[in-house]
Order: sequence, then C-alpha cells, then structure tokens
Amino acid sequence: MMNLSALVHSLRCSLLRIESRLLQISGLDSQLAPALAVNGPSLLPQIEQDPQQDEEHDPEQTPGLLDSILWMAAPKKRRTIEVNRTRRRAERKLIKVKTNIEPCPECGHLKQKHILCGFCYAKICKETGLIRQQIKQMEGGPLRAPPVETVILYEGETPSEQDGGKRIVERPRKRPAWFRN
Amino acid sequence: MRLTLQMLISHGRVARRIGLGPESRINMLRNILTGLVRHERIETTRVRADEVRFYAEKLIDYAKKGDTDEKAMKMASFWLTEKDLVPKLFKVLAPRFENHSTGYTRMARIPNRENLDRAQMAVLEYKGNPFPPLYPVKKENELTLINQLLKGYREERARARVLGAEA
Repeated sequence: MMNLSALVHSLRCSLLRIESRLLQISGLDSQLAPALAVNGPSLLPQIEQDPQQDEEHDPEQTPGLLDSILWMAAPKKRRTIEVNRTRRRAERKLIKVKTNIEPCPECGHLKQKHILCGFCYAKICKETGLIRQQIKQMEGGPLRAPPVETVILYEGETPSEQDGGKRIVERPRKRPAWFRN
Repeated sequence: MRLTLQMLISHGRVARRIGLGPESRINMLRNILTGLVRHERIETTRVRADEVRFYAEKLIDYAKKGDTDEKAMKMASFWLTEKDLVPKLFKVLAPRFENHSTGYTRMARIPNRENLDRAQMAVLEYKGNPFPPLYPVKKENELTLINQLLKGYREERARARVLGAEA
C-alpha cells in the first residue's frame, strides 16, 4: 500500500515535470522566477532548475505517505448493528432453499430429482467394476477389444439363442435383483 | 455499423469453449469418444459428456454407411485413437443401432465429484450396453394392498358379469 502511494506520487511529479518542460520548450511560460534576462533558448534555465526541483521534491518524498493519507477513503461513522444486520441478512446473501430433494424409491437415500441416486449408482459402479476386471482378464492385455457383443451371465445361467455369437462374461455370483435384462 | 461489443458480450452464443483452444477441444473430445467406444459407459463432467454426445451419434451415423465407404473409414480412423476399436465400431455398434434412427446414447447426471472442485458429473453410455441399467426397470408388485384389493374387485366384477350372462 505504501509502495502504491509513493508510486502515484512519483507519477504525479513526473507528469508535472513533463508539463513544465513542454511549456518551457514552447516558450509560453513567463512566471519562472530564476529565468535569465537573456531572451534565448531556454536550455540554461532548465539545468539550473533541475537541482532546485529535485530539492523541492526530496523533502516531499519521505512524507509521501502522510501526504497521500489525506486523500484516501475512510468510513465517516461506525456502521450500526441494524445496518450491518440488514446488509448481512439480505435475500441474496442467504443460502437458497432447495425444493428438488426427494427420497429414492429404490433405496430410500435422498437424491435430487434430476440426478441419479448416489447409492444406487455406486452399487451399479461396483458391479460394473467387477465385470470390467473379468473382461480385462479375458482380454489379457491392452488394445485387444474383440469385434463382438458381450453378454454377462451369472451363476446357473446358460446363454440363450439371442446370445449366439457373443462373448460370454461369467460372474460367479447370484444375479442381483436390480439387474434384470 | 456494428454497435455491440462483440468480444465482451456472448448473448446467444451456443458453441462451447473447452480446453486450451479449438484444436485442444477436438483432441479432448476424441479421447473421451475413444474411451466411450471401448468401455460403452463412461463418467465425465457434464459439459464434456454433452459435447461428446453429438460426436458419438455422428460417428455411429458414419459407421452405418459400412466399412467399405472411404469417408466413413477416414472418420473412424481419425476419431478413434486406438485402432482396435475401428472393427468394433463397424461390426458391433453399427449393427446394434440398425433399427434406430437417432438417440444412440444416454446421458444421466450423477452427484457432484467428491474433490475440492465439486464438478458436475454425468454418465454417458451407448444404449444396449451389457452392463446393469442406470434406470432400473420398475415392476409392479402384486402383493401390495391396493393391488390385491383391485384384483379382488376385478374378479368380483367378472363373476357378476358371468352370472348376469347366465341369467
């Protein structure tokens, strides 16, 4: 923050310096006190004035912070608790109530209406994970996907006539109730 | 004379910007599509799944033209980075969707990712995949009270109709 105020101050000084120099070059200034009586090019007065301007600026540079504090924003009065409360408890800052939560009809866990039930999906994911492990064992290496359909059979199931040319993945457990064909 | 700020306002723009640029977007979607063709059911962010869906269905449309078609083979070899999936696409997925005209994929939203980013996730699958269904089929339970009462009522009405027909 102090660097920012010093930077702004130095920018202001440099801008003023540029302005005065432009005025000198154009020859429109006549209020400079140490100007020479010679009516010629204004190079000499420039060399004289530079150390003077630096001397003027140096004493100003260190209390730059004190000088800039005078034009910084600050609260005028203490905000009362009533004002604070109305700001903190405004409609847009409160947490919105969701009305789209309902229990899943299968497992009873809560779910949002447009999103699948987390529990049921985790159940399905676990089973598909085991099926994919079995497929990985059957393929025996990467990039060996066979160009045939796959069918999954559980314990005690035989392939029907539809599952003729398909690759059979066997799962050594009873068919789960939620996995009817 | 254009009076609007083209760069700053994007009202009505439907094209999504994904990844580091258009090329990066296509590469990312290509990877996701390859994964989808290999595994037939994948889980990604909702936006990526939505973008891939269009390309997945267009790929099936190209595959339906048959593997002798030059354009179809070029498209398949571009979009599938793993070349053992090209025969799978033409011999498994294209015949599976012979009788469907559109809608080869299904997208369903799942609860947000558990990481710090809590990203919105979705599951994208080709229909007819061998895995357990995402939406379990609801069967009517005959043994509920209401169903038993309705069954009794239907039987009584049938009996009354038979008696009425006899008399």
